[in-house]
Amino acid sequence: MKRAPLLILAGTAAGFLGVLGFHTRPAAPTLPGAEANGGNPGGTPAATRSAGPPAGPGAIRSALGPSEQFGYGVLDVKVTVSGTRITDVSVPTLQVAEFTSQQISEQAIPLLTSEVLTAQSASINGVSGATFTSEAYAQSLQAALDALHVK
Amino acid sequence: MILSLSLPHSLEVNARPDSPAGPAFAMSGHAKRRAAGRGSPVPRPAVAGAALLAAGTGLGATTALTITAETASQLTVPGGLATFAGNLTGMVGTYLALMMVLLVSRIPVIERVLGQDGLLRWHRRLAPWPISLLVAHAVLITAGYAQAARSGVWHEAGTLLFRYPDILIATIGLALICLVGVISIRAIRRRVRREVWWTVHLWLYLALSLSFAHVLVLGQSFVGHPLTWAVWSVAWAGTAGLVLAYRVGLPVLRSVRHRLRVAEVHPEGPGVVSVICEGEHLDRLPVSGGQFLFWRFLTPSMWWQAHPYTLSALPQPPYLRLTVKGVGDHSSALARLKPGTRVAIEGPYGVFTRHSQRRPRVLLIAAGIGVTSVRALLEDLPRGAKPVVVLRGARREDLVLGTEIADLVKRRGGQLHELTGSRAQATIDQYSLRRMVPDLTERDVYVCGPEGFVTEIVGLVRWLGVPDEAIHHEAYAL
Repeated sequence: MKRAPLLILAGTAAGFLGVLGFHTRPAAPTLPGAEANGGNPGGTPAATRSAGPPAGPGAIRSALGPSEQFGYGVLDVKVTVSGTRITDVSVPTLQVAEFTSQQISEQAIPLLTSEVLTAQSASINGVSGATFTSEAYAQSLQAALDALHVK
Repeated sequence: MILSLSLPHSLEVNARPDSPAGPAFAMSGHAKRRAAGRGSPVPRPAVAGAALLAAGTGLGATTALTITAETASQLTVPGGLATFAGNLTGMVGTYLALMMVLLVSRIPVIERVLGQDGLLRWHRRLAPWPISLLVAHAVLITAGYAQAARSGVWHEAGTLLFRYPDILIATIGLALICLVGVISIRAIRRRVRREVWWTVHLWLYLALSLSFAHVLVLGQSFVGHPLTWAVWSVAWAGTAGLVLAYRVGLPVLRSVRHRLRVAEVHPEGPGVVSVICEGEHLDRLPVSGGQFLFWRFLTPSMWWQAHPYTLSALPQPPYLRLTVKGVGDHSSALARLKPGTRVAIEGPYGVFTRHSQRRPRVLLIAAGIGVTSVRALLEDLPRGAKPVVVLRGARREDLVLGTEIADLVKRRGGQLHELTGSRAQATIDQYSLRRMVPDLTERDVYVCGPEGFVTEIVGLVRWLGVPDEAIHHEAYAL
């Protein structure tokens, strides 16, 4: 079969380009703050407001962001604001498939928390070495902030 | 080691009154145009073409999936590059391992086009790739994770093995794969008994099943991608199904259906015996002249080994004949087979058949025990083939089945040239070939014999101007 190499090469190119083409859309970057529900095709309910009336300045309110899938796990972010000031951020749920990711995430979350408290928004640089965790964290946080109509 | 190949023994020109089983592979008298039995189905190159295209598509898709699962920022973090390279080598290596299995899964529609010979050649050529890619995968992932976790490589290796799901068994799988690779290295393969090599090869299936789980649980292209997950699983389950169906199911079915038993064993020449088997429904065995089967003679000492031997004649229900030269332990033991011994078969396989013929007339060249393939093929050729047959052997007696061949050639209006003597005396070169076959370049050329002989003759006829698609060959390997 003389055409064998040709057929295999043609197939390889077709398969490669096919998958690449198919993937372009879903892989479009969903960066922090892009959209409340971005990157959450599962449609987990967006931020659930858990406390307080939309009340006046100084009211303490908190919201839980949607669960965000990242490479090897799922996390969600709970944010507490006083008025429009972010006073506390926590990660109530962190489920990771395996050990290294767990380790990386656990190391990253305190750093992320302090970045948020400093920046007072979800626009953070993230932690290098924990890109996925950082992105998921920022997304869930942004959704929670949106639900509270903060920023 | 064992030699493979053989050929059928005597179709006697006269029925043998002395043979109790009376297997009359007799060509005598009235010509049987084609002995009873069903020819192998016509090859359909389009099917094999589609399979090759699909194999390529899978490779491309696997590569692309690994790349799309990666983000640019991941590459820049510590260990990111090594982890990415590890993912890529792992995915491509695993995919190629799947192809290795498919190449030897004996899928009939593909075997009929590409030939078992050709498929095995690809299998051997491809082999170093999945093995080295998978080893690279293990090393790169360990290094990458170690960098990411800011720990040492050995520490990380321990972590991976004992704290990650399914990694330990996958590593055992990888060790088995390496072992199979090592034992198949030519220099080692030659020193190992065929059965040992074969049994070790079976571990490959175990190795691949062991490593399957970690891909789905940890692979970056699979975690959170149910579609990819499903397609990959179906591909593996499908491969397992094909292997079971064609390497186990079909041979068992055929062995049970045809219920072959040894009817008679008789000497054909120096060290050469014909084994005649008697069975049922042999008219339903789809075999063409020139094909071989794997034979398993169910005696206490031989049941565990299957060897490829060519049929030396088309089936003449209820008889089948193979003719074997006693070179290895197995082929020598055939001479001692008792009538009544049960026989299991796998096959038939091979593309050294009339289906390969592209032009009306043919030239058949054989050396040594290769004459047996030519004998069966000759019987199967269309009437107008006007075959020129060139046989070479050290001694006259080595050209077994001579009478049968002469008879078949005569009946088809062909010519027979028997060259005997030392290589120098019985040389086949451009001059002798041109003299014997003036219209050489207009014929299809079939070459059968030991590997060196086949290589030499194929080179010669190609050089004389016979195009590749008109050259067909089968080499007997020791």
